[in-house]
Amino acid sequence: MGLEQHFPALIIAILFGIAFFSPLLYRWARKISAPALITALTLALAMSISLLIQVTQGGNITYYLGGWPPPWGVELKIDLLRVYMLIIVLAVSTWIMIYALKDLEHELKTEMLGWYYSLYALLVGSMAGITLTNDLFNLFVLMEICAISACAIISIKEDRACLEASFKYLILSAMGTGCFLLGVAMIYMVTGHLNYDLVSEALPKAVELYPNNMFAAAALFIVAFGTKSALFPLHVWLPDAHASAPSPSSAMLSGVVIKIYAFALFIMFYQIFPRTLLDSIPLNEIVLWLASMGIMFGSIFAMVQVDLKKMLAYSSIGQIGYVFLGIGLDDSMAMAGGFYHLLVHAIMKSMLFMAAGVIIYSTGIRQIKQLGGIGQVLPVTMLAFTIGSASMIGLPGTGGLISKWYLALGALDIGRPIFVVIILASSLLNAVYYMPIIVNAFMQQEEFEHEAKPVPRQMLIPLIVGMAAIIFFGVFSRPVIVLLESAMQMFF
Amino acid sequence: MELLIKILHNYYYMVAILLFIIGMHTMLTHSNLIKKVIAMNIMDTSVFLLFVAIGYTYGGEAPIVREGSEVLYVNPLPGSLMLTGIVVAVSITAYALSLIVKIYRYYGTVDYDEICLIRSQE
Repeated sequence: MGLEQHFPALIIAILFGIAFFSPLLYRWARKISAPALITALTLALAMSISLLIQVTQGGNITYYLGGWPPPWGVELKIDLLRVYMLIIVLAVSTWIMIYALKDLEHELKTEMLGWYYSLYALLVGSMAGITLTNDLFNLFVLMEICAISACAIISIKEDRACLEASFKYLILSAMGTGCFLLGVAMIYMVTGHLNYDLVSEALPKAVELYPNNMFAAAALFIVAFGTKSALFPLHVWLPDAHASAPSPSSAMLSGVVIKIYAFALFIMFYQIFPRTLLDSIPLNEIVLWLASMGIMFGSIFAMVQVDLKKMLAYSSIGQIGYVFLGIGLDDSMAMAGGFYHLLVHAIMKSMLFMAAGVIIYSTGIRQIKQLGGIGQVLPVTMLAFTIGSASMIGLPGTGGLISKWYLALGALDIGRPIFVVIILASSLLNAVYYMPIIVNAFMQQEEFEHEAKPVPRQMLIPLIVGMAAIIFFGVFSRPVIVLLESAMQMFF
Repeated sequence: MELLIKILHNYYYMVAILLFIIGMHTMLTHSNLIKKVIAMNIMDTSVFLLFVAIGYTYGGEAPIVREGSEVLYVNPLPGSLMLTGIVVAVSITAYALSLIVKIYRYYGTVDYDEICLIRSQE
């Protein structure tokens, strides 16, 4: 075996390591600092793909950090679902970073770039840790690292809007982690364990003995992860934070960071909490209805926005609702749909934010109204925007259709057709606010009246890759769905 | 009456929850940013206190194992976990305070309502 068995720890170590060295490299060897970051991200991605192969061949892997087995040490666990999340996180963040190298030059001061690389690597490393960890307290620490670095890649731009937005984000996510830690205390109080597996073994008895304690813990977890992943009534921080951040940060935050907490909530619900708890209080119903409200209201708020990035941010609130819908529906097909949406939305929302970034880079326009005729000057960017929007709406041939299809099938499967209506209605609403932009961009007769800088190739290639990926996942969805369905086997 | 005795018996949990609620309420409702940060610390501290209280055993000693003596120990795990928690809370506080310094430079105030007022006039 050799090195291969240490891959789970190495992925996290290499990302935290590069986070430490990036500012130093930027100071003393500026030329290699960006390639070093890309290399580290690619290495981590390669290791995660190797983990996928190991898991599909040899089953789940557990890794004891420092060689200490569970009751004493921290355990990392790799199963199909986690490795799927890990690959999404690493692949999307590598892809965004390649775009960011060029975009950041005009959005940040030059001396801040090294710090940005450092924060970015910290963020990716902590998210990789959240997917792999099998220990509640370890999850708490990684969530705090993730929260600080996510706020910091917004506030690094240092204009008035960014500072205020990132402070709001910081306070609300501190509230989220506070609630999470209290929930962990409730669980530790009755079980005496922090390891997921040991906790889930001990919990069925604990639920019988101390039901109120466990209800409180479940409620606190919903608030904690709901705040962090912008579940509907707790979404207030998201629009400002995601809209004012530099474009690569917006892509990262909207594309990946909010999803990771939805995934963590899923793990809490289906891996830690026993079935009896889920049946005795309507946790699933709460998540379902909050998600449905998020889907509707996110789209309605998005319609009235005048700022392009703000519209995309509100649209994220709607889209994260689909992932929660998958979690709440408690049906393996709907869950597969929810997790497929997680992948597709990570790609399409990142790409839409990148397209918005290119528009801002080239013309400096943020207002939707002024975008008329922009298709003539930025054809590739607007084509990417069109494909991304088509996938948001769920047109055939794009990934967005597949996830909605499976969610709808799952909803019908357990006899809740009302959610099919919600999915359909929200697709219509998505069309209402995405279509006018595209129609205006391409169909308008008059000339585009603003000046447009030429866009460097390094910014366009990630957009083309994104378009290809969306169409690929829209046409060849079978392998991923099969993988997800076999991953869901563990939970049912 | 029975409930009251139960509560009195477990008063430290009540105190922790009370502190948590005070912290959370202040954090979400006060408009002064510094007070928000203080409230955040109160909230975190309440959870730390709860954890440490969980780890205490009546009549327990400090968890140092001596050869040949069998005594009751206090659970060392929550204490060591909370050390990590305190470090995390300190770093969040430091970051929040540095953000407030920058916000003060741009807006000339640390009151959230006034910041909203300034932003709405732009």
